[in-house]
Amino acid sequence: MKAFCYGVWIQFLMDLRSRSLFITCYLVPLLFFFMMGSVFTSIMPEYQDTLIASMTIMSVSMGSLLGLSSSVVQIYGTTLQKTYMANSLPVYYGLVTLFVSAFFHLMIVSTLIFILSPILFHATLPSHIGIYYLHLILFIISSLGVASVLGLFVKTQGLLTMMSQIIFLPSIILSGIMFPASMLPSFLENLGKLFPATWGYLLLTQSQGQYILILIMILAFLICFQRMRSFYSFIK
Amino acid sequence: MKTVIKVSHVSQSYGSYQVLNDVSFEVYKGEILGLLGMNGAGKTTTLECLEGFLKYEGNISIDGQIAIQSQNESLPAYMKVSEAITLFSQWKKASLEPQLLKALDLLSIMNKQYQQLSTGQKRRLHLALALIGQPDIFILDEPTAGLDVAGRFALHQIIRQLQKKGVTIVIASHDMNEVESLCQRIGILKQGKMVFLGTVEDFTLHMGKCYRIKVITQEGENLYTTQDVRQTLSQILDDYQKRNLEILDMNVSRGTLEQHFISMAGGIEK
Repeated sequence: MKAFCYGVWIQFLMDLRSRSLFITCYLVPLLFFFMMGSVFTSIMPEYQDTLIASMTIMSVSMGSLLGLSSSVVQIYGTTLQKTYMANSLPVYYGLVTLFVSAFFHLMIVSTLIFILSPILFHATLPSHIGIYYLHLILFIISSLGVASVLGLFVKTQGLLTMMSQIIFLPSIILSGIMFPASMLPSFLENLGKLFPATWGYLLLTQSQGQYILILIMILAFLICFQRMRSFYSFIK
Repeated sequence: MKTVIKVSHVSQSYGSYQVLNDVSFEVYKGEILGLLGMNGAGKTTTLECLEGFLKYEGNISIDGQIAIQSQNESLPAYMKVSEAITLFSQWKKASLEPQLLKALDLLSIMNKQYQQLSTGQKRRLHLALALIGQPDIFILDEPTAGLDVAGRFALHQIIRQLQKKGVTIVIASHDMNEVESLCQRIGILKQGKMVFLGTVEDFTLHMGKCYRIKVITQEGENLYTTQDVRQTLSQILDDYQKRNLEILDMNVSRGTLEQHFISMAGGIEK
């Protein structure tokens, strides 16, 4: 356990040293938050009610789909995993430490948005902060689960960039964080329901969709577990 | 002598391409075995089968705790040397001897990130990480690739010290001189088959009887390796006469050990 905790700690530090994770987890989401907060709350004052949830969905989706999946490929798609295994680290080590570390980073950026939104843009705070945070944790874990599956199945960084963009962009556009999903044609509204971001937004704003996110989380964990078992499963 | 690694009739293929073909050998406790071969001969594949990273047909039994230094190892770009050593020490529940850190010249780069290390420093770090936990068997794939003269010398010293402590070592290399200076026995792989297995002395003796014949004609240069110079020369002359080829120059020599290795392992000479 001590070794595992140390692994998570150095992964957390490495994530801070890595420019790419800093950009996807902090810089871009917070810049987007400042820009959207300024523009949307001034042209649509009702946006203050959903600012925290929408900017959190955007940040978590970006940090997980573009951030975590890329880090997973850097381990499981390269010789790094072999080095870990040659030195007695278990096959799940890389994924679990990345997952836990990314979880903390996404909690930090979500909390920054939560604190800064009312101060800077007079955003409305959720009525039950405890429940909001429980829902946030569920959404972060589900998003990280989907990103883990992506990172474990796509073998090259180039293909992953394309795949994660294919999932990330419609996630943001169709989830309802920029404009109500009900304004979309029914085909696109239904398409949006394929992405965790749509359910996450529903959960953070209306406390609905938790069962779908739990299902996504469980499915993602099962797929990751099965994928892990297939790595070097022939080792006696 | 106690056998610690036994490889019996191991074959391995990537799709339709057979990389290893019925390879068998044993490694005895405390010895250094060198696996020699040209690129693509199957050295790394043999080691990866030993390490358990590849599926294979046949049997491999290993008696003891194994440490590995692979040819293509890496660590996260932002991981510091000190963090890597602490992390792996904690997982292996063992520590690295301070003398080893000094011998591998790692003390001065403890705070450097992996991406800032030179190729030689990375090789030395991976060597140190593999040696955490005092293994019984140490497998090294091209251990001196990318090392300068000093690094190579230090590594050879460490390998000899490990052997003195009773560690069994298997080294894959294409450097005949390195293997000759370190190993008690050598195995030569050629196109996935073990074409020679024995002591360095056996190899020298076997190859000492070989001669190299170099013939230059207007078509180019041809090299022949033989143990019977008289018969081979006669065959060459007959053959060239039939083909109406004029011999411009001819040379018969014993050749160096490395040249004999190339002729045995590489098959680039006729």
